[in-house]
Amino acid sequence: MKKILLFSTIALFVLSNTPLATKTYAQSRDHILKVYNWADYLDLSLIDEFETWYKEQTGEDVKVRYSTFDINENMLTQIEVGHEDYDVVCPSEYIIERMLKRGLLQKIDTTDFARTHTPNWLGNVAPFVADKFQQMAPNDDDKFNLENPSLRVSDYAVGYMSGTTGFLYNTDFVEPEEVESWTALWNEKFQQKIYVKDAFRDVYSVLIQLARQDDILSGKTTRDHEASNLSDENIQAVEDILIKARPQIAGWEADFGKERMTQGKAWINLTWSGDAAWAIDEAAEVGCNLEYVVPKEGTNCWFDGWVIPIYAKNVKAASYWINFLCQSDVAIRNMDETGYVSVIGTPEVLEGMSSEEDYEDTVDASYFFGDITFPSVDEETGDTTWIDSKAAHLNHVLYPNIDVIERSILMHDTADRNEAMLEMWSHVKGNNLNWKMLTFILIVVALILLVLIDKKTRQWRKRRHRQALKLKRKNL
Amino acid sequence: MKKAFANVYIWVLMLLLYAPILLILVFSFTEAKVLGSWTGFSANLYKNLLSGEAGAALNNAIYNTVLIALVAAAVSTILGTFAAIGIHNMRHGRVRSAITFANNIPMINPDIITGISIFLLFVFLGIGRGLFCVICAHIAFCTPYVVLNVMPQLMKMNPNIYEAALDLGATPMQALRKVIIPELKSGMVSGFILAITLSVDDFAVTLFTKGSGTVETLSTYIYADARKGGLTPELRPLFSIIFIVILVLLVFYNLKTAKDTSKD
Amino acid sequence: MVSKILANRANWVWPYAIVLLVFVVMPLVMIVYYSFQDAEGQWSLHNFHKFFLSTDSLNTLIYSIGIAMITTILCILLGYPAAYFMSKKEYGLPKVMAALFILPMWINVLLRTLATVALFDFAHLPLGEGALIFGMVYNFLPFMVYPIYNTMLKMDGSLIEAAQDLGASPRKVFTEVFFPLSMPGVYSGIVMVFMPTISTFALAELLTMNNVKLFGTLIQENINAGLLGYGAALSLIVLILIGLTSFFDSEE
Repeated sequence: MKKILLFSTIALFVLSNTPLATKTYAQSRDHILKVYNWADYLDLSLIDEFETWYKEQTGEDVKVRYSTFDINENMLTQIEVGHEDYDVVCPSEYIIERMLKRGLLQKIDTTDFARTHTPNWLGNVAPFVADKFQQMAPNDDDKFNLENPSLRVSDYAVGYMSGTTGFLYNTDFVEPEEVESWTALWNEKFQQKIYVKDAFRDVYSVLIQLARQDDILSGKTTRDHEASNLSDENIQAVEDILIKARPQIAGWEADFGKERMTQGKAWINLTWSGDAAWAIDEAAEVGCNLEYVVPKEGTNCWFDGWVIPIYAKNVKAASYWINFLCQSDVAIRNMDETGYVSVIGTPEVLEGMSSEEDYEDTVDASYFFGDITFPSVDEETGDTTWIDSKAAHLNHVLYPNIDVIERSILMHDTADRNEAMLEMWSHVKGNNLNWKMLTFILIVVALILLVLIDKKTRQWRKRRHRQALKLKRKNL
Repeated sequence: MKKAFANVYIWVLMLLLYAPILLILVFSFTEAKVLGSWTGFSANLYKNLLSGEAGAALNNAIYNTVLIALVAAAVSTILGTFAAIGIHNMRHGRVRSAITFANNIPMINPDIITGISIFLLFVFLGIGRGLFCVICAHIAFCTPYVVLNVMPQLMKMNPNIYEAALDLGATPMQALRKVIIPELKSGMVSGFILAITLSVDDFAVTLFTKGSGTVETLSTYIYADARKGGLTPELRPLFSIIFIVILVLLVFYNLKTAKDTSKD
Repeated sequence: MVSKILANRANWVWPYAIVLLVFVVMPLVMIVYYSFQDAEGQWSLHNFHKFFLSTDSLNTLIYSIGIAMITTILCILLGYPAAYFMSKKEYGLPKVMAALFILPMWINVLLRTLATVALFDFAHLPLGEGALIFGMVYNFLPFMVYPIYNTMLKMDGSLIEAAQDLGASPRKVFTEVFFPLSMPGVYSGIVMVFMPTISTFALAELLTMNNVKLFGTLIQENINAGLLGYGAALSLIVLILIGLTSFFDSEE
């Protein structure tokens, strides 16, 4: 019995390392594409379609190895320190900025498209997004920029999804006027009813705009400047806002705030638009009414984008992958599957995402799609509706109205101010030590010491006793 | 009387331990995305899970999880048992204390530190991360638990039976198999089970040691899943099935051994 | 020659010692290396300075030790009787009872903890410290029960009988004979429960909505923000702390 166990264990161990189990690696690296993305962030049926499409375009086989990560920094550590050879990765904008600065990205290779007669869809990305991306270009004194004085960020990073930060709130308990401003965090009516996303960067970006709103409105400074100016005063200002908000904050959620919102456990959640859209849909199914709003002081426009790290081994397939995802219909499918909003700003997307019956109110999305109007014919009914990007029937959570964008900033990498930011965050959250706990600990420590001392004295006494006996016997 | 008290105590404890599991079981029969919300009875999640709609990714994850857990636990048990015997027979002193402390380090360290440190080591040595690395890392943090489960049994064991066996002509291997192992069996089994548990639940260590291949385990899949879209509801029927299957196996095993002992 | 080496059982530890050296000690060296680097990558004691000067971190550590103590004590109080009842045939509990303790742990920790949260919601109990301690005991109870249970199974019945024959009262039999004999199991259990509790973070995040910060949470936060150096230093501090205490308290 045991022999069988031993043998099968060794067999398993060996097998797990033989080509049999690793046959997946038998293909040459040129025919493998390693994709590293967030979970639930892609319509997975697209993977097979991409492989077929790639074969059609280039005549070559490719096998996609799709893996998921949950935290930007851990993904970055794997690539930066471990030199993992992922071909194409989808980080958040501030990490893209960090990777650019540290020289970890390489250019997307579009030179092969002409040869294979593949259309270049990278231009489908809304110009508004590409402009925002250019803000991520390294500064003058960054090492990377000195070597590449005219860096075009879009050569290195193509947007994927985007969103804003705001209040998800329960309309049964909260009036829209009450969440018009970030100061709702101070409203005693919401004591212990507010969740705040455990993301210090995003929270800082939005609350600094509250702290400096007077200066911003009077023109003394700009939002972008204040958001990227991580001075001690600015950080302290945000810390003060948060500490004043503490009685209202029931928790700092990282993953499950939106779920608890659908159960009515809290009334307001400072979170991202993507989470909000998910929550609003899910809540509707369980009879809860949620809504999302971006407060008037300002917000941040966040992006995720595809990049090719320098350790990638299949740049060609990676570039084709990024290109593939920029098609309008693919973008719409990803939006449907994930619930987030894509950065693709073509008229097809506008048409596909518009729905007069789902979205009564209209949104001025011309900043995104350009100023366009065109007729759209419904295939089933033959009816024609006019689509106007200035008054489009879009989901306002996904496609914010232009006034929201005008009061948004792009979040930058907090680089060397990370420590200070984290300290601020720690101060706000506080620590839990109280007198009860301290006394308890001291009592336990005292008891343990007593037991130890008792043991030691007994041992010592025993030894003394034995020595005494020995002496006695010697004397006899 | 004493019997009744013992039974009540254990069963109440069990009830508390299993209450959350029962919740998962109950809520696997509703399609609500959030655990705790009920949108009407539906076996759709089971259908999705079994029809493979929840993805080949989940299958791959399950396969990897089981493989890694079984191999790591088996190696850990063997390694840990030998280690425990060795440590037990060492003289008290600096070397023994050092080994004992080193044994406890994986238990003291947070998972993420164990994961990152092994990751850094492999990077430094220039070895690629992957399935082999994951299994080695799992062995590293499972073995201490085996050692700690076998040690108390060693202390209870008569110290002379091994020498007695050798004197009676047994080879060390025979003495090991027929004399020592039976004494330590329950400790080894506990250690093995605990090792499997730890390996299956581990996230941080696997994350950093899996490299860029598709070594996804259930844990890494679930953690990544939780971040963006909330936990996939299909996980509830998955774990309900796992739970029921193992429970049934245990009950069968119990009935069988009860029958065997009653036959004696 | 080989059989002579094998005959001395102390040598059987060497395969594991090598594994320890490669997979525990050498990674530890990496950790030490990183803990002496500040955020810019320069050599400095900055991380240790930061910890000792920061009341937040110190308090978090002390608080975590307190939670670990409570968890361990509760595990002993609940687990010892459980192990006792299961190990004695006269209580008539099925043999697989012990296996039933570990079964909940095979459900993934995230899902299981979310279910605990749902349980608390249903019972209208607030999340917070109490929920955290419940969750901790829930997670670590098997680790306390198993070593004690195994020790009790193997207990030499003749010693108990001898004590009884010599006229000791049942209470004395327990306190003077049974309990001390079960100590090795209890000790193992304490080690397997106390130490990991300080370093857990997932439970605190979910069961208290991040309102309670344990030391593990602190380390996780720093690593997730890219501050590997500080995270490494923090875990090194815990290691040294526990190393010192085991230095003073030898189990023999």
